[in-house]
Amino acid sequence: MLDMDPLRTFRAGALLAAVVASTASAQLRVVTSTTDLYDIAQAVGGDKVTASHIGEGYQDPHFIEAKPSFVLQLQRADVWAFVGLDLEIGWMPLLIDGARNPRIAFGGSGYLDVSRAMPVIDIPRGAVDRSLGDVHSLGNPHYWLDPENGRRMARLFLAKFSELDAKNTAAYTANEKAFEDRLGAAEKGWQADLVAIKGKPVVAWHTSWRYFAEYTGMNIVAYMEPKPGVPPSPSHLVTVIRAVKSTGAKVIILEPFYDKKVADFVAKETGATVLVLSPSVGGMPGIVDYLTLMQKDIAQLAAVVR
Amino acid sequence: MMKAWSCAWAMLLMAGVAGAQQPTPSPKEKAKSDSAKQAEADSIALMKKFADMQSANAQVPAAPAAPTGGMAGPSNPRMLPDFSAVGDLVGDLTKDGSTQGDRSRFGVREVELAVQAVVDPYFRGDVFLGINDTEKISIEQAFLTTTALPYGLQAQIGRFLMPVGKENTTHRHELHTIEYPWIIQRYFSDDGLKGTGASLSKIFSPFGFYQELIVTVVDRFRDRPDSLTASVPANKSLKGLGTSARLRNYVDISQSSNFELSASMVTGMREQPLSGAGAGGLNAVNARQTVAGVDLTYRWKPLQQGLYESFMLQGEFMTQMNGTPDQGAVPPGLTYLGPSRDFSGAYLLARWQLTQRLFVGGRYDTLEDPLSNGARLDAQSVLLEWFPSEFSKLVAEVERYAPPGAPAVTRLLLQASFAIGPHKPHPF
Repeated sequence: MLDMDPLRTFRAGALLAAVVASTASAQLRVVTSTTDLYDIAQAVGGDKVTASHIGEGYQDPHFIEAKPSFVLQLQRADVWAFVGLDLEIGWMPLLIDGARNPRIAFGGSGYLDVSRAMPVIDIPRGAVDRSLGDVHSLGNPHYWLDPENGRRMARLFLAKFSELDAKNTAAYTANEKAFEDRLGAAEKGWQADLVAIKGKPVVAWHTSWRYFAEYTGMNIVAYMEPKPGVPPSPSHLVTVIRAVKSTGAKVIILEPFYDKKVADFVAKETGATVLVLSPSVGGMPGIVDYLTLMQKDIAQLAAVVR
Repeated sequence: MMKAWSCAWAMLLMAGVAGAQQPTPSPKEKAKSDSAKQAEADSIALMKKFADMQSANAQVPAAPAAPTGGMAGPSNPRMLPDFSAVGDLVGDLTKDGSTQGDRSRFGVREVELAVQAVVDPYFRGDVFLGINDTEKISIEQAFLTTTALPYGLQAQIGRFLMPVGKENTTHRHELHTIEYPWIIQRYFSDDGLKGTGASLSKIFSPFGFYQELIVTVVDRFRDRPDSLTASVPANKSLKGLGTSARLRNYVDISQSSNFELSASMVTGMREQPLSGAGAGGLNAVNARQTVAGVDLTYRWKPLQQGLYESFMLQGEFMTQMNGTPDQGAVPPGLTYLGPSRDFSGAYLLARWQLTQRLFVGGRYDTLEDPLSNGARLDAQSVLLEWFPSEFSKLVAEVERYAPPGAPAVTRLLLQASFAIGPHKPHPF
């Protein structure tokens, strides 16, 4: 029978707990606003970070509720990474104020506005006001739907993680390179689909597909929303139907959180196909990471317009 | 490494020359091009910084990234505060005459001007001025909020909505109904309960869910009635200050549903009427008043279809406990006419979302009315809310209001409110 000394057992247990605790606290705690940022942060951070996200991939990122439980998530975060360009303006200030965590507050070492590393499109020029709808005055924030921006996101995480956790820079570097390698290999796989998509007229619900269009070459000929964030009106739907008929657009793409019935109506009038595409990781079944997000969106679109 | 950088510079140079040979770009193309160049420069700087870091064996952490407001530098280089305004317009088409205090059929209930900014590394400042025809201009709220206290503490100093009850912490124009619930109107005021002083809050989660304790000390509990004057100010003694505590408990039931169960209490001395005027026209005496309550809010909003569907059920119960003046405080020959009993009341509010912009709701109020020595006041209302956008709201409400000792009245109220200025966070 094993002779157990209670004091030694207690000491061993305490030592083990201390080791576990120090290991846990050694990891960077990363919270992101979206699942796409989360996935890339996790890919770069690997086992050196613990990552979580606020929004879900099937949720409209403009209208996430600032639940107090998110405050708890942010209280102990080392890094708060967000899309920026006012995408999260409807809820992020409440959470950041509520978290009372200077590391992730504006100016803190962990405050990571990812849009800073992005080439932003659709920056309004001249006068801007809300008669234009929910226009983002700093530019279109849906940049993650371009793999080149996926690379920029990964490089930004590499720089930030290395800055905050220099001893693991080599691991972050290797992870980031592996991510870019996987993305590069995946891109080769969907080149034929891109050829099929290039120049094809499509209708999109919201301006969220602008970067995707820049990458794939699809031609957005009309939006279901008359202005960003404004629900389609009957008179606007007439305009959309006319645009579909005149351009020969075969597909209406929308996110899973929009009202598909309206798109179905236009499809019925025009013969176009309604295609629900995932705007983010986890947005639909099978979209498990950034690579499958891009791969499936491109493949599904190509299958319809081919 | 040098070779790689040389190649990169050569390619950039060639790209620049090639760009110079292109026809003049349109403003849109130029904006996009500028943005791309800026991002490219940032990306190169980032990679260079990273390469430098690696060359130093990655032992020296990089300097923290300088915060900026966007791609092209700070978005607010002059650090101007955010200015915004809210207009709150109310109509009263009740058949037998307006039920508004000023008897108006259509009125501007309030215009609220807000000036908000970060003050320095330690505080944020918020100023809300209320303008209406009765009070002209008043300081609705003006407070500093700490941003750098340790241990997850946050303090506010100034005038603010008292954290007592659920609805009272919401600006009146942001309510789901046109007016505050009757328990707030009768136990505090038509415009809720504000206080001037300091508050301290702490967030904790020993049981795995969100809890927050907020304590406040304010100059006094409720405004002093204009017509009442006591021999000594209600806050002459420190015991006469207004103090409150609120414990919030927020629990996620699922991704789509959650509830908040909270308890609050506020207490302080306030002037209560006497049967007549004594020496020097003194017609009031100070007595303690305490309001305690619990509130429960249940919310359902599916994440995927949250633009179109949601439901909320909210209820509050409050009890107002009235003390009596200290022995000898009532001058000889006069009688204390303040409340000599406690009053309780509650409301239940439900709100359904029908479409992206349309909501219906209903509220049931019942309370012992302090203005009628505890006689029952009941009210039932239904309302229709339409949001043309996030920045405007139109509401129609019908309320069956049965005041104590008087025939019931069916009130028809209308509200239009709008917000101009920077996008504010959506209240939760």
